[in-house]
Amino acid sequence: MRFATRTFLSSCIPFAVLLAISFWAIRASVMNTVRDGLRASVRDNQVALANERARNEGRNRKLLAGIGENPSLKAGLQLLAAEGSANEQAHNTVQDQLSEICDSLNFDFIMVSGQRGAPLAAVVRYAGGFAPVNLSRLRPPEQGFFSVDGRLYEVTSVPINEADAQVATLTVGGIFDISQLGVPAVLMHKGAVIATQTRDLAPAQIEHALAGCSSAADCELRIQDQRYLSLPLGRPAGAGDDGYALRSLQNVDAASAPLQTVLRKLFLVAGFIALAAMLGITALSSRTIARPLVDVVKHLRLSAATGELPEFPENPGGAQEIRDLTQGFNNAAKAVRESRERLTRAYVQFVGSLAQALDARDAYTAGHSRRVSEYSCAIAKAMSLSEDDLEIIRVGGLLHDLGKIGISDLVLQKPGRLTPEETELIQQHPVIGKRILENVQGLEAYLGIVELHHENLDGTGYPHGLKGEDTPLHARIVKVADAYDAMTSDRPYRRGKSHADAIAVLRSAAGSEMDPLVVEAFALLGDQRKQLAALAGSQSLRSLSEAVGETTATLEVVEREQEAS
Amino acid sequence: MWIKLATFAFAAAIVAAGADIHGTIIIDRKLSRHNVTATVGMYQRGVAVELGADGETDPLAFERSHVAVYLEGGPKSPATEFPRVSIEQRDRRFVPDLVVIPAGATIAFPNFDPIFHNVFSLSKAKSFDLGNYREGQSRLVTFPTPGLVAVYCHLHSNMAASIVVSPSRWAERVDRDGIFSLKDIPAGTYTVVAWHKTAGTFRKTVIIGEKDTAVSFTLPYAEPSDEHIAHR
Repeated sequence: MRFATRTFLSSCIPFAVLLAISFWAIRASVMNTVRDGLRASVRDNQVALANERARNEGRNRKLLAGIGENPSLKAGLQLLAAEGSANEQAHNTVQDQLSEICDSLNFDFIMVSGQRGAPLAAVVRYAGGFAPVNLSRLRPPEQGFFSVDGRLYEVTSVPINEADAQVATLTVGGIFDISQLGVPAVLMHKGAVIATQTRDLAPAQIEHALAGCSSAADCELRIQDQRYLSLPLGRPAGAGDDGYALRSLQNVDAASAPLQTVLRKLFLVAGFIALAAMLGITALSSRTIARPLVDVVKHLRLSAATGELPEFPENPGGAQEIRDLTQGFNNAAKAVRESRERLTRAYVQFVGSLAQALDARDAYTAGHSRRVSEYSCAIAKAMSLSEDDLEIIRVGGLLHDLGKIGISDLVLQKPGRLTPEETELIQQHPVIGKRILENVQGLEAYLGIVELHHENLDGTGYPHGLKGEDTPLHARIVKVADAYDAMTSDRPYRRGKSHADAIAVLRSAAGSEMDPLVVEAFALLGDQRKQLAALAGSQSLRSLSEAVGETTATLEVVEREQEAS
Repeated sequence: MWIKLATFAFAAAIVAAGADIHGTIIIDRKLSRHNVTATVGMYQRGVAVELGADGETDPLAFERSHVAVYLEGGPKSPATEFPRVSIEQRDRRFVPDLVVIPAGATIAFPNFDPIFHNVFSLSKAKSFDLGNYREGQSRLVTFPTPGLVAVYCHLHSNMAASIVVSPSRWAERVDRDGIFSLKDIPAGTYTVVAWHKTAGTFRKTVIIGEKDTAVSFTLPYAEPSDEHIAHR
C-alpha cells in the first residue's frame, strides 16, 4: 500500500467513523426528542379530550336533569302507572311523549325505566322517524355504550323524581360515531374491537396489542413497528364495568413522520457535506505529508535503475525526518562506495599476488600468466565478446596456471623430458587450481578457465576429456593464448618459435586440439609480441589494473611490489 | 258552527229586530309563533314548519281568524239557544283552538287520537280537569261565567286552546278575511270587544240606532283597554 494511501486511509477511516457515529447519535437524539415532544403533546391532547368529554358528560347530565322534570312525561308515567303498562294506548302515549322529547332534543335513543330498572317504554330514531323498541331484551346501562339492532348507542341516564323519591329513570343517548370523537380511537367490548377509526389496522392486531393494557391507564404499544399511544377516553368515575372500553389510539410515529422526514433529509445532506469535506481535506493533507517521501522514493527508484547509489541534495526540503532520512542515505551510500573501493583494491592485490607468486617460481615462465591474459583479451576483443566476458577472460588468463603452485619444483623446473608419472603430476594443475580458487568468494567465474584450459576439441585433453563446445569459449580462448605463449617463449633447452611458426602450429592443431575460430581470430590479429613489447612491464599491468577497475594509487603500490620481487 | 251562529242570530232578530254591526279586523303583522306541523303518522314526526314559511297558509289570515268579537251590554241568551260546540283532540292538537260561546254554553272534548289526553283548565272563569281519557271518549264542560278560558293537556304541553265566553249572545269568531257582523242588535249603547290571544283585548263603544254601524279594529296598535284580561 502506498504511503499516501495509507496516510489517507488511516486518517480518513477513524474520522469518517467518528463523523458517522456522531451524526447518527445526534440524529437519534433529535428524533427521540421530537418524538417525545410529540408524544407528550399527543398525550396532552388526549387527556384534554378525555377531560372535555367528562366535562361534557357532567354538563349533559345537568341539562338532562331538566328533562327529568318534564311534567308531561311525569303525567304520562302516572297515566301508565294508573292504567297499567299492558294498556296499549297508555303505552303509546308515553312512547309518543318520548318521541317528542327525542325529536326536540335530537337524541337517537330514549327510554324510561321503572324503579327496578325494568324498561317501560323506549324509542329509537330511524330514517326519518321513530320506532318503538322491543323491551323484552333491552338492558342498557345507566351510562355507557350499548347496542340495539346492530347500532351502537352511547347513553346517559337521569332520574325522574317525584317529591324527592325517584319514580323512574330516563335514559337518552345518540348513535355513537367514533369518527366524531376528533381523535383516533377504538371502542372495545370485552377485548374485541367494535369500532375503530384506524382503518389501516386489522382489528385482530389492535386486540392483540391492547390485550396487555389496563383499562384505566395510559398505554404505549407497538403495532406493525409503529408506536401507538392509547388513553382511556371519557370513562366516568363510578360507571359500572359493562365490558366496553373507549380508548384513543394515536400513531405517534405517524404524527412525527413529517418532521422526522425533514430532519432525516437535513442530517443526510449535512452528513454528506461533512463527509465530502473530510475526504477532500484528508486527501490534501495526506498528499502534503507524503510528497517529500514520494520524491525520495522516486530518486531511489531512479538510482536502482541506473545502479548508481543515491546522492540527495543536502537540503531536499520537507520535514526534518525526511532530511534526516536523505542524510542517512547519503552517508550510507558514501560508506558503501568506500568499502566497495577497498574491496576492489584488496581483490586486485590478491589476484596480482597470486599471479606473481606463480611467475616467481620459474624464471623462465616469468610473465607467462600476464601475457596469456593479454593475448586472450585481444582474441576476445577480436571476437566481439561482451565486457563481462572480457573481464572474466582477463582475470581467468592471469589465474589459469595457479594450480602449478601445488606441483613440486623438481617436476616443474625439470630441464629434460618428463617421465609419464611427472606428466601426470603436471596434468594435475588445472584441478589443483580449481580446488584452490573454488573456496574464494568472488572468483567462481574464473574456475572454468582454470580447470578446463587444457581440454582439447576432440576430447583428448585433460583433466576431463571434454569435447567440442562442452569446453566453455573462455577456456578455449585461453588454451590458444597459452599454447602460443608457450611456443614463442624461450626455454633453457630451446629457443622460442617465431610468430609465423607458432601460428602455423596452431593452425595445424585447429579442429583437433584448438578451436579453429579462435585460432583464426588470433592469427588475424598479427604478431602480438611486438605490441606487448611496447607495452612491456608496468604497461601491461596497467591495462590489467584498468580491467579490474583499480585506481592509480593502488596500481603504483602493486608495481613497486612487483619491481621489488 | 257558522250555520249555528247564523241560526242563533236569526232567532235573535225575531225577538228584537235592530241594526247590525259590520266590522273589520285589520292585522298587518304576524302575532303568533304558531308552527304548523305536517300531519303524519303517530311516530313519523315531520319537520316543524313555521307558519307562512311553506307559502300555503297566509299568516295574517291565520291571525285574523284567531280573533274573537263580542258585545258587552246586551241581554243574555236564553238557555235553549245555546249552540253545540266541541273541541276535538286530533294529532296532539285542539281543533279548533279558538271557540267563542255565550255564557252558559257547553263544550264537548272528544279524543280522536290513538293516545290518551288529559284536558284541563286553571282559568278563573272556569277551572276543570277532565282526567286521562282514551280515543273515542269525550267529556262535556259547561261555561256559565263570561271570561277567557285557556285549555291545556297534562300529557302534551304544546297543546293549547282558548275559549271566549261572551256575556251576550252577540259573539263571533272573525273569518279569515277579518270580517265579522253582529246582527239584529237592539238600539242602545254597547261595547264591541275584540280579543286576540297575544295581542290582547280591544274595546270600542258603539251606539246602535236604526242604522247599521261599521266598526274597525287595527291590531295590535289600538290602545289596550283597562279591562284587558291577561289569560292565566
